[in-house]
Amino acid sequence: MAQYMLSVHAYVDGAPPPSDDEMAQIYADVEALNTQMAEAGVELFGGGLLPPDQSTVVREDNGQVVMTDGPFVEAREHLGGFWVIKVDDHDAALEWASKATRACRATIEVRQFEPDSEV
Amino acid sequence: MTRYLLTVCYPDDAVQPPPDELAQITRDVDAIHRELQESGAWIFGGGLHQADTATVVRVRGGDVLTTDGPFAETHEQLGGLSIIEVTDLDAALHWAERLADATTCAIEVRPFHDDR
Repeated sequence: MAQYMLSVHAYVDGAPPPSDDEMAQIYADVEALNTQMAEAGVELFGGGLLPPDQSTVVREDNGQVVMTDGPFVEAREHLGGFWVIKVDDHDAALEWASKATRACRATIEVRQFEPDSEV
Repeated sequence: MTRYLLTVCYPDDAVQPPPDELAQITRDVDAIHRELQESGAWIFGGGLHQADTATVVRVRGGDVLTTDGPFAETHEQLGGLSIIEVTDLDAALHWAERLADATTCAIEVRPFHDDR
């Protein structure tokens, strides 16, 4: 068994946001997927993030703490949310990621956690 | 109460600190995680495997496509993350400061939606 992060890359600069109808469908499909995950007993955590412009970055600069508004990475894409699941292996994680990419209408990145991560 | 995601961010080409320093960083971060757990703010946390071990899954023309490697072609990558539940952003930033100090890295703080 291993823990995997399935991250949803939903905020893409320049891409039009989904329509209200599309959002409603996405919510319904994600809720259905969440129920499936709960029934399978694989979900450790799941959540949707507020848009990247709501982020704050905290760092130390010469002993001073500096805080800046906005995301850390000036990338075109940002995390929309993610799941943490516990499954047998990478293939199992990819199966859930396939369901997730269809439900979210977004690209999913799958990364394994180091073994001593804990909930 | 709001949930926040705290991620450790470092550039791809960052040099890993020498073993002694890394051991100290690990001890310091573990101590902060224990404090988080004792305070009841802790929900989840962990270190992620290197970005090049990631797999990207997407739908193209109705089929699910799987490719190796991280999603973002950026130099900075997530090193690890903590999910906490605290009263407000100030409380989250307090923990982020502690982690920034312990990890010597930048910490990005992002709020979750309330609905889950």
